Amino acid sequence: MQSLSAKPTKQSAARLNQWLLAVTGWHGLALLGTLAGLGYLWLGGGDWPLWQQLAGTVVLVGYAAGHGTAAFFVHRRINRGRVLSLAANYVGFIICLLFSLHYLGIFLGVDALANTFAKGLPFLGLVLMGYFVGGYGDRFEGTARQRQFQLAGQWIAGVGGLFFFLAVGLLQGIWAVLLTLNNALTIGLVLGTALFGLFCWAMWRQETADLFQATIADTEMLEGYLLLSPNLVGFLIFFAGPLIFSFYVSLTNSDAFGTADWVGFSNYFKILDLDIAHLANIGQRAAEVLDIRIYDELWRFTILGQSYVIGAADKLFWLALGNTIKFVLYAVPLSVLPALLLANLLNSNLPGMRIYRAIYFLPSVAAVVGIALVWQWLFNSTIGYINYSITALINFLNSWGGSFTDPAVRWLSNSDVALLAVVVMTAWRLVGFNTVLFLAGLQNIPKALYEAATVDGAGPWRQFISVTLPMLAPTTFFVIITTVITTFQVFEDVFILMGTNPAGPGNSTLVMVLYLYQKGFQRFELGYASAIAWVLFLLIFVATLAQTRRQSQGGEAYE
Amino acid sequence: MKTLFFKLQLLALLALGLLLVACGSSASTPEPQAPEATEAPAEVATEAPMEEPMEEVTLRWRTRPDNQAEIDVYQAVSDSIVIDGVTLVYEPGGSESSSYQDVLKTEIGAGTAPDVFWIPGTDVADFATRGLILNMRDMADATEGYSDDAFYPGPMFHLTFNPESGNTGEALWGLPRDVSTFALYLNLDLLAESGAPDPRELAAAGEWDWDAFVEVASAIDALGDDIKGYGQNAWWGPYGYWINAAGGGFFNEDRTACGLDSAESLAGLEFESRIYNELDIAVPYGEDSEPPFLAGKVGMFQNGRWATPGARSSANFNWDVVELPDGPGGPSNWLFWGAYVVNANTEHPEEAWKLAQALTQADTQGVISALGANIPSRVSQEALDAFLTFTPPANNQAFLNGLARNPTTEGPLWAGSWPEYDAIMGPAVTAVLTGETSIDDFAATICGEANKVFTNN
Repeated sequence: MQSLSAKPTKQSAARLNQWLLAVTGWHGLALLGTLAGLGYLWLGGGDWPLWQQLAGTVVLVGYAAGHGTAAFFVHRRINRGRVLSLAANYVGFIICLLFSLHYLGIFLGVDALANTFAKGLPFLGLVLMGYFVGGYGDRFEGTARQRQFQLAGQWIAGVGGLFFFLAVGLLQGIWAVLLTLNNALTIGLVLGTALFGLFCWAMWRQETADLFQATIADTEMLEGYLLLSPNLVGFLIFFAGPLIFSFYVSLTNSDAFGTADWVGFSNYFKILDLDIAHLANIGQRAAEVLDIRIYDELWRFTILGQSYVIGAADKLFWLALGNTIKFVLYAVPLSVLPALLLANLLNSNLPGMRIYRAIYFLPSVAAVVGIALVWQWLFNSTIGYINYSITALINFLNSWGGSFTDPAVRWLSNSDVALLAVVVMTAWRLVGFNTVLFLAGLQNIPKALYEAATVDGAGPWRQFISVTLPMLAPTTFFVIITTVITTFQVFEDVFILMGTNPAGPGNSTLVMVLYLYQKGFQRFELGYASAIAWVLFLLIFVATLAQTRRQSQGGEAYE
Repeated sequence: MKTLFFKLQLLALLALGLLLVACGSSASTPEPQAPEATEAPAEVATEAPMEEPMEEVTLRWRTRPDNQAEIDVYQAVSDSIVIDGVTLVYEPGGSESSSYQDVLKTEIGAGTAPDVFWIPGTDVADFATRGLILNMRDMADATEGYSDDAFYPGPMFHLTFNPESGNTGEALWGLPRDVSTFALYLNLDLLAESGAPDPRELAAAGEWDWDAFVEVASAIDALGDDIKGYGQNAWWGPYGYWINAAGGGFFNEDRTACGLDSAESLAGLEFESRIYNELDIAVPYGEDSEPPFLAGKVGMFQNGRWATPGARSSANFNWDVVELPDGPGGPSNWLFWGAYVVNANTEHPEEAWKLAQALTQADTQGVISALGANIPSRVSQEALDAFLTFTPPANNQAFLNGLARNPTTEGPLWAGSWPEYDAIMGPAVTAVLTGETSIDDFAATICGEANKVFTNN
């Protein structure tokens, strides 16, 4: 192990020891503060649910243990103590910083900044000018004139920046901060941020690292985690946190407004609650064999001469599940196979091919709302262009002696075809993106393989089957996986295309995400909607896992 | 290394500067908008002058406009209202298709909803029983000149309902913004071409009933394969009329259970199903009928007053309106309404109550009604007379007749969940109207499913 050595002087060693003494004391203080928080959690009289108290206890005990252990090892000058101290102080710094920003009103302020930012834009032009003036000096490299230009550029940029800040409200900002710092909590948080930051800096310094005999590997590890931390913090706050919270919500009867009661897994039980009953004949009323206070008829069938009816406590969930699976089964092939075909056509050097590639990719960059509104118009059964074209074609054929009947398809109002209409639009939207992926895959296949196949006498079809498809397997796997996940999560396409009745005729376009949206945001059942979301997550997870396993068994795992 | 350090310092300075600026942005309040003197200011009943100068408060309010013209009018209304010590900020809340209610509910959940906002009549119970809107009864009782009777009694029945006691007149959840009702929008050119009798004349003679309706629709429908005699859109309002006009209804009399399987309700639904599946004289059920009507392909289009601006701007044919035909149960229609309610978490309930009153003053409603999208919610001959002048359509009286002749008031479901009920009823009725389910099967199953949404079941 290599140490980053630099022998400290006696004076600097004494100063360093004073710092470490302060750090040890600070950890002790933080330990006491955390324990005080723990005491408040259990004895403070707050109206927290038990689960929140338990979760809070785990977090606080862990944090207190971190500070305590850090203090112990720092005192004994063991490198583990430095790492722990940095981690504990960094976590404290981030927490205090976020809360400080919140209480100083900065999060809302950044939003409001958009209103005043435009006022300062002309001065940003000055900053840009300063940059160019400074850059112009590089033409006179090594001369005094270069320095003069750089100096002039810095001044112009500096003055521009100052005026920019004044124009967008720097003075008001400083004044607002001074006004906000009028209570103990905000002052404490700002002070906490400064102190945690200070002790982070103290433990990070090279002299400290040397004293603790930190190796290059230690430093690299810490730097790695430091660089990772912004993303990690964002992940914890904006992804993992809400994910865990949504699972908690799914175990309550939350309506998003009032206090939520703990209901355990009853939301899940209701979602999955099915009953099956024997029918005397296939036409017998379900109400005669099912407890209709709980179950609605979902499906009836005959097997081995016996008729049965299946009832569901939440019929709409099962309808949504069925529609979603149907949607995935139709939309995936319809958006993958044409994309594969198109990619092969576009993978040539014919003139104008780049334009075609751009054209096919256009639907992928267009807004779903715009696309859906255009398709809504196209699908209109009375004045839409699709039916108009079908009618024109049939009239033309009939004028030549045909006897075809105009089907007058009710694309959006017939429960037999409404889901198909959504599939058509979604597949059209996804084909372009999948084509680009396939195209990238095709261009990575070595030309030598095709040359060898040609020498062996393989025609275009044999080359496609024996060279292109196997070599495209990783891309195909990726395309299918992403398309399956996208189609399982279909929402905007249905929500916009079906207009004021997104569930469609006879709930034929009610899909899972739409159903959970309706439950959560329209019917005040956030707990139940969260449970649906977790069931959907499990479905997608299982489908993805199955595909991954299958791909692995084929020896063509995507990397 | 030195340059890098300098750049880092510069970046830190920049970030700090922006953060400080952001602090200033969040602290600054919206600039007060100077009231314009062009519109007559709404007179608001103010209390006795206060001895101390009042602190300026900002009230945010929101309603659901259907187009930019309405947004402009609501903004002008907001600018014209003068309430001492109050600065108003109007927020257009998007349209029906952009999920006004969903966004509003999300904002309520997040605690960022406006102080005063509009909700449809069907939502009042959900909002009230969950404590999301303020009961303004006490403030209303203390307000000189205020009376529930100034508004149509149908909406006020629900707006003053006390869910705890089950009595009406004991609460005040909001004030109705406007009312509306259905009419049949007529394509007079198709009507003349078909030679069918004019429904307006039939209505004047008291002969406008379901048989006459079928006769007129059939005559227009016979004009060509691409012409339809009648059209409606697929939601509870249009089919509800056929059920109500046959003497039935969605609920039983006290609205505590499903009423869709009553003989009268089934008769109404069966008649409507005949229009689609047997006579085939209507735009297929589930298709948006407004585009083909505006394209001149539909003879009679059932819609509310809110469709008038679209007809004014897009119909390139002669058109007018007529009231809905009388059913076996007599004349019938809906009385649609929505209300301005006050956020239960507002910091300024007194000011919000004043704003709700100001927004429902007769002159304010007159300015908005001039757009043609709705009818004033105040029972006032002056307001009705003014409404009649907002032409076209020439026969505005048809809407007022709809209000006067036994309308069923759109209402919240205090004993259950209206969204859940609608989610069960809608697909089941659709299945009947598209011929996928027989009326007998509908009758056998509908109330078994629908009754689950009532709290007493």
